[in-house]
Amino acid sequence: MRSLAIAAALIAVPALADPVIPEFTNETATAGLSTAYQGDWDYMVGGGVAAFDCSGNGFPDLFLAGGAGPSALYLNRSSEGGRLVFEKTDAITLDAVTGAYPLDIDGDGVTDLVVLRQGANRLLRGLGDCQFEDATEAWGFDGGDAWSTAFSATWETGADWPTLAIGNYIDRNEDAFPWGSCTENWLHRPDGRRFAPPHALTPSHCALSMLFTDWNRSGRPSLRVSNDREYYKGGQEQLWHIDPGQPPRLYTEEEGWQRLRIWGMGIAAADLTGNGLPEFFLTSMADNWLQVLRDPASGRPDYANLAFQAGVTAHRPYTGGDIRPSTAWHPQFADVNNDGRLDLFIAKGNVAEMPDFAADDPNNLLLQTSDGLFIEAGEGAGVASMGIARGAQLVDLNLDGQLDLVVVNRWTEPEIWRQTGAPSGNWLQIRLEQEGANRNAIGAIIEILRDGRLESHEVTSGGGHVSGALGWLHFGLGAAETVDLRVIWPDGAAGAWHDVLANGFLTLRRDAEPEPWWPE
Amino acid sequence: MNLHRRHVLGMGLAFAARPAFARDRADIARDIVITWHRLVLELVRHTATYSPPVAARAFGYLGVVTHETLAATDPALRSLGGQLNGFTAPAPEAGQIDKSVALHHALSVAVLDLFGNTGPIGQRAHGALSARLGARAEDGLDAGIQSRSAALGRRVAEHVLAWAATDGGAVIENMGFPLTYPAAARPADWLPTSLVRQQQMPLLPDWGKIRPFAMPTGAACAIPAHPAYDPSPGSPFHLAAQEVVEIKANLTEEQKLIARFWSDDPMLTPTPPGHWLSILLDIAERDSLSVERLGSALAKLGAAQADSFIACWEAKYAYNLLRPLTYIRRHIDPDWTPLLNTPPFPEYPSGHSTQSAASAEVLTAIFGEDFAFDDHTHVDEGLPVRSFPSFWAAAEEAALSRLYGGIHFRFGNEAGTEQGRCVGAYAKALRTDA
Repeated sequence: MRSLAIAAALIAVPALADPVIPEFTNETATAGLSTAYQGDWDYMVGGGVAAFDCSGNGFPDLFLAGGAGPSALYLNRSSEGGRLVFEKTDAITLDAVTGAYPLDIDGDGVTDLVVLRQGANRLLRGLGDCQFEDATEAWGFDGGDAWSTAFSATWETGADWPTLAIGNYIDRNEDAFPWGSCTENWLHRPDGRRFAPPHALTPSHCALSMLFTDWNRSGRPSLRVSNDREYYKGGQEQLWHIDPGQPPRLYTEEEGWQRLRIWGMGIAAADLTGNGLPEFFLTSMADNWLQVLRDPASGRPDYANLAFQAGVTAHRPYTGGDIRPSTAWHPQFADVNNDGRLDLFIAKGNVAEMPDFAADDPNNLLLQTSDGLFIEAGEGAGVASMGIARGAQLVDLNLDGQLDLVVVNRWTEPEIWRQTGAPSGNWLQIRLEQEGANRNAIGAIIEILRDGRLESHEVTSGGGHVSGALGWLHFGLGAAETVDLRVIWPDGAAGAWHDVLANGFLTLRRDAEPEPWWPE
Repeated sequence: MNLHRRHVLGMGLAFAARPAFARDRADIARDIVITWHRLVLELVRHTATYSPPVAARAFGYLGVVTHETLAATDPALRSLGGQLNGFTAPAPEAGQIDKSVALHHALSVAVLDLFGNTGPIGQRAHGALSARLGARAEDGLDAGIQSRSAALGRRVAEHVLAWAATDGGAVIENMGFPLTYPAAARPADWLPTSLVRQQQMPLLPDWGKIRPFAMPTGAACAIPAHPAYDPSPGSPFHLAAQEVVEIKANLTEEQKLIARFWSDDPMLTPTPPGHWLSILLDIAERDSLSVERLGSALAKLGAAQADSFIACWEAKYAYNLLRPLTYIRRHIDPDWTPLLNTPPFPEYPSGHSTQSAASAEVLTAIFGEDFAFDDHTHVDEGLPVRSFPSFWAAAEEAALSRLYGGIHFRFGNEAGTEQGRCVGAYAKALRTDA
């Protein structure tokens, strides 16, 4: 059957040892992160974290959404391979923040921050040394007045500034009858070096995640939107054509798009099959979804759900006791144990007190096995928290080559784990830089040739659940000590292949040799 | 703004604009009943335990609460005590009562109990609506009448809820999906049809054992055996499957619309019994039904629907028949897919057919043979209004929709329809007038 043929495509990795379960140490009590995601029903979704280096020392700093309380920026004071230590600053104390994404909007080489809020969204211009100024008005950005819960960015062909998509949730003024009150999503296109008035991305269906992705490698990213069926009427998951100079246009059933109605909470994308095209993991309640193109050669966005076959339904707590279905939020693919295979983290937590869904709902860490399927390792790895999670980031916070984890929970301080087990595989971390617009090459494809197999990684901004990162891109390499890699830059230009050594940091620029970097 | 939102949010304005004359009080009573039921149709959609059988059960008890609240003070009405299995009449109330207040409190208590599993937004909506409706219902009333009416409403609701708690269907775990179920033993046995992990077990396999409302037992409306399972081309079973394949291959746009109009998927719509409840509420608004007539209709329709799912589930798990998708992929076309998602439980008979026929049987008895109506149930979802010349025309279309959708054989629809007639006959025999 066709679906089984697609499942076989997942089984593409040469058989190696079964996955090593990584070891995490919970350092929440000592890491210094104290900003809880606060609020009542009007903060039941949201709760994001942004990871990016604002100080210039290479270590990712963290911005935490505070919900109804103040948000905060934390400087990373960790040392290489050492305990995770953060220092709270008063650089950004906005309230009503649901999440944030780092992005160099104006191309000055300093990371800016897109802050999603209950009320007017804000664009904070990075000034360097972790200082920011509110550039919302100066950049002509209409922050609107909504419950913003999703974001993604792309640079359309020829544009100096990015196009920003912002997803909005229900009308928060509709307390007696919120169903069917989804408010408009927005597409903020640039007008030179500022933003034009936003274009309504209607119909809008209560978006909780958005991702610009070149799903068919056409060179022109489309916009995926994951929507919460709890509140929409007549809605579904969406894929938008975003063609330069043209109004946004939904993909239709005639083009292959199939109607899917889920409690869409988060999007993660990665090429698991090795065909050069991304697969999409969509979080929901009960079963989650792993979408794989049925027929990549057709060019039609017709996806099969292979979550069951791949072992990533993650539909129920795996720790015993509570048999009720799960509620999933931030998903993220990353090679957590550096074995050369992408793994999957899912943040879990009840909306608040939904009796039909698990109250003790542990986060998932699904490790990819040598046969391309996934097994649960959250408990063994030590990250099976019962906190009421929302956003998260898997990111190397102490620059030792092993991914660490930060998770935002409702009402309690965020949890943070340092990966402390012995290294079980090689790794590589890369950052992209180019002159002019789109400094961090959002939309580029990084190709890695390892053990005769070509990996394809798309550089994106957005997705997850109101959480994102900008900075080092981490790749596990397994036993490989050298790999060949190249960059397909966002304009389609293919860079040269480079033979690089494992276990290091590299800055890659156009038409230049990779530049090694070491933490100081 | 959609129809339901407009209705619910408009309640306060409508009340505020009017003085509370007697006739208006009667209108308010009817509107309170309709508004609470409109909220319930939303809660069904947003409460994960509310698969169609569970939803039908709740509608049944809400109908009884509505009628019994009225019957407790109105000598022209007859209680369902002694007519429904195990149900005794609530004690009557001799003092002066305001029906609006009594109904408001009765339904507020009953909805909160029956939908205790709804999430924080549903609870919040219940609270907001309760405050809004309560204030309007009580506006300008004598304090003694207010408190007596509220007490009556709460007392009747608690009486009915105590009865409901003993029917065997009050507790639903894991959204109705058991953690284990015997493996298929015969080729004809049901097999899972989806790749949703939770749906690898069939929904509510013991639902046929819970206590019915009006029919004597779950097996009171048994159906004849389906055609014998047979993989041979030309056999009755194979022909039935072949018909499903051919219909899918030649679906017209109208047939696709019919399939989607009656799809009534749980957690995306008010469910099939909610669809028929929506039809009744629309008629009550259009024709300004008296609250007494509406209460009687809600009780009979609710009993018919609740009993339909009990009878149907009893048969489904007695026959445990596989779905068209399983047979067709096994014997005709390994890549075949139906238009609709196949529900996660056995095929025979069709539940939508059973409960649509039972609903038509009851509503025809109440409103007449050629009672035309417009069905606005899915306007919010972007589907058009459909007009029907009679309740049976709607029920027959609902049954046929399952064939268009590729989720039932024709014989499953026909057996369901016949079963529904039987179930409906018990409900329509209930006497609500003294």
